[in-house]
Amino acid sequence: MRNSRTGWLLLSPTLIILLIFGFAPFLYVLFVGFNQWNVFSAEDGLIFNGLDNFRRLVFDADFLHSVGLTARFAIFAIGSEVVLGFVLAQMLTRNFPGKSLFRIIHTLPLMVAPIAVGAIWRLLVIPGFGPVPFFLDRWFDLQYQIGTYPDQALWTSVIMDVWHWTPFVTLTMLAGLTAIPKEPVEQAKVDGASRFQVFWYVTLPFLRPVLLTTVFIRIMDAIRTVDEVWMLAGGGPGTRFTGIYIWRVVFPRTDYGYGSSISIITLYLTIVLCWLLFIAISGRRKGETE
Amino acid sequence: MKKIFTLVLLLAFALLANMSLVTADHHGWWVEAAAPYAGTTIRGVSESTPPSNYVADVLAAQFTELTGINVEFETTSWDQMYSKAINDMEANTGIYDFVYIEQDIIYSYLAQDYLVNLTQFAGDNPDLAYASYDESAFTSFADYFKNADGDLFGVPMEAFVKVYLYRKDLFEDADIMAAFEADYGYALAPAETFEQYRDNAEFFTAYGESMDMDLWGTTVQGSTGHPASTYEFLESIGPSFGLYNWGINLETGSAQSANGGALDGDTAVAALDYWVGLLPFAPPEATSSTWDEVASSFAAGRAAQGWVYGENAAWIATDDSRSAITGNVGVRLPVTAEGVIEAAEMGDGYIGYYDGGAFGIPHSSRNKEATLLWLQFIGQPSVQAEWAAAGARITHTATFDDPLIAEQDTKVDGYYTLLEEQGPLFAGAPPFPFHAQVREIIDPFIHRVILGELTAAEGLSQAAMAVDEELDRLGYGM
Repeated sequence: MRNSRTGWLLLSPTLIILLIFGFAPFLYVLFVGFNQWNVFSAEDGLIFNGLDNFRRLVFDADFLHSVGLTARFAIFAIGSEVVLGFVLAQMLTRNFPGKSLFRIIHTLPLMVAPIAVGAIWRLLVIPGFGPVPFFLDRWFDLQYQIGTYPDQALWTSVIMDVWHWTPFVTLTMLAGLTAIPKEPVEQAKVDGASRFQVFWYVTLPFLRPVLLTTVFIRIMDAIRTVDEVWMLAGGGPGTRFTGIYIWRVVFPRTDYGYGSSISIITLYLTIVLCWLLFIAISGRRKGETE
Repeated sequence: MKKIFTLVLLLAFALLANMSLVTADHHGWWVEAAAPYAGTTIRGVSESTPPSNYVADVLAAQFTELTGINVEFETTSWDQMYSKAINDMEANTGIYDFVYIEQDIIYSYLAQDYLVNLTQFAGDNPDLAYASYDESAFTSFADYFKNADGDLFGVPMEAFVKVYLYRKDLFEDADIMAAFEADYGYALAPAETFEQYRDNAEFFTAYGESMDMDLWGTTVQGSTGHPASTYEFLESIGPSFGLYNWGINLETGSAQSANGGALDGDTAVAALDYWVGLLPFAPPEATSSTWDEVASSFAAGRAAQGWVYGENAAWIATDDSRSAITGNVGVRLPVTAEGVIEAAEMGDGYIGYYDGGAFGIPHSSRNKEATLLWLQFIGQPSVQAEWAAAGARITHTATFDDPLIAEQDTKVDGYYTLLEEQGPLFAGAPPFPFHAQVREIIDPFIHRVILGELTAAEGLSQAAMAVDEELDRLGYGM
């Protein structure tokens, strides 16, 4: 009993902080989401409008478009990061000349703030001044203008995200790979398993918890991506992701009610997506236990 | 003779003594008035523009030296400036003691009662009222920051018009002039009609390509990820075609032609069609360009002509460290459709945007008295001329006659004279209490027209409908 009380006492600062800075704001956003509230409207204050905001977003073409774009961004960026991260992590489990230097250089992007990453990439790709459009035009006669071609803006965002976050995936994968016991791998090889069979039946199952955690983190990051993409293209065509759309609704439009409802739905979609992914990767079904 | 000489000498001495006494007296007034607030730090936020940067780099330091009041002045991006100021004032947090009020947002701020009535506040605090600060010294631009009673809510700190700039070195080159005349059958000159503007743009783009130069025919403030493109269309191109007040009829609360609006009307469609039609003659960065990039592109010599905010005119024309075309900048009124200038002269319209802003004190400020001193400091006549020369902004009528400005005027091809004499043809943004909200609604449609996903007619028709829906939601609709 005393142990339990001491435990709660020790936990209480964390719980209080979580309650104040995590749960209370969430409840507030939930409350605002059921109201019409624009500070520049003719009527002051919050006006309860039930589910109107949620109904509105179902028919909001811009919001739906932003969800579609975010999904494309997340799938391509995270997919590339996982594949690249795994390959690099495999590489780093072996010895090769310059490995330490490579590991340092490879990890550097992780240390750069997202806003700085966006600024660097903007300087690289800005039409008229950036080296990337210049050389693409000179060498391949390719018109590369992220302000004019939405697909180019989207792909540039994906590549920028991959550049920024692949090191994170590599490091987590590397931790997972080095934690795999040698015996099952060696046993599989002795039993005549091919490299692919070793990977599929031994490495991947051991790596599954790490993979799941990494993908979860990256999905949450990708869905709330704002700063670096904002710096890159200002939320222009091809990059008006959900996070940027929410920012536009809440800040320049000061439509706090509608912005809150979009935030709630985005959170809900993130949770559902992560849950579905959890089931898919872990293979857990209803009724199964640990 | 000796007596006269002695008399003149005595008079001169007396005058000098009097001047130094006045200066010392003024200095003493600031020190005395600011004494209770010495050591206080006042904070402000503004967009990073040439006039704002002058405030941050020069005026803030001078004020601190004189009064002991510290000024922390944040110059940031346009979007961030608005977000920070509005959030602070709405939440009443009191982070900022003075905020930049762009002319177009003043109506929203006044409607929300965010700002302190400066005239009244100074009247209530006579000890803080500086004798040389005179509200009547401001140009008529200050009227945008007054209420119906004539009380001022912001001290104007910048005011300029968006003008037509062109490269004199190109337009006055004999070979180029001959080539143009051979191609188009009339003499090359700064544009006075839209057809001429387009011909110029087309010609210089082709010329740049044939000479393997990084030169295009025109600037276009056509960012597809920023409101700058909407602003260029609604506040520069639209009015020059005769589209006023964003095509929104405040009486009917509608932007649709069917309900008295004009955003989807023939004039608006013609204006947007024309403007988007200039994109092939603009530098490749045009679709990523806000007002800053337009000024930079023009300063880099990448466009032969363009619509450029006047605050940039001075540095583009004179600052060798930032501009490749110093000494070669021509300034004219922007081109207009037939009858638009006449309508503006009659007071029935305007030809473009009279832009600018003021510093105001939010009610949420915790240091209103110290900030009032600061605003009077930047609003006094003695600091105006150098500030105007650095930032191409004029807010005091007397500044136009200052010798420094007269000298600068010749270097900027008469920009200041144009501002003084033809400034009244321009106008500030319409008095919308929903400025940013409705502009945000229009943005995506303008962006899609620029990208070619919608025609001008489709884009404006959809925009007008969306604006009406938003006006309804905001409670300003029909």
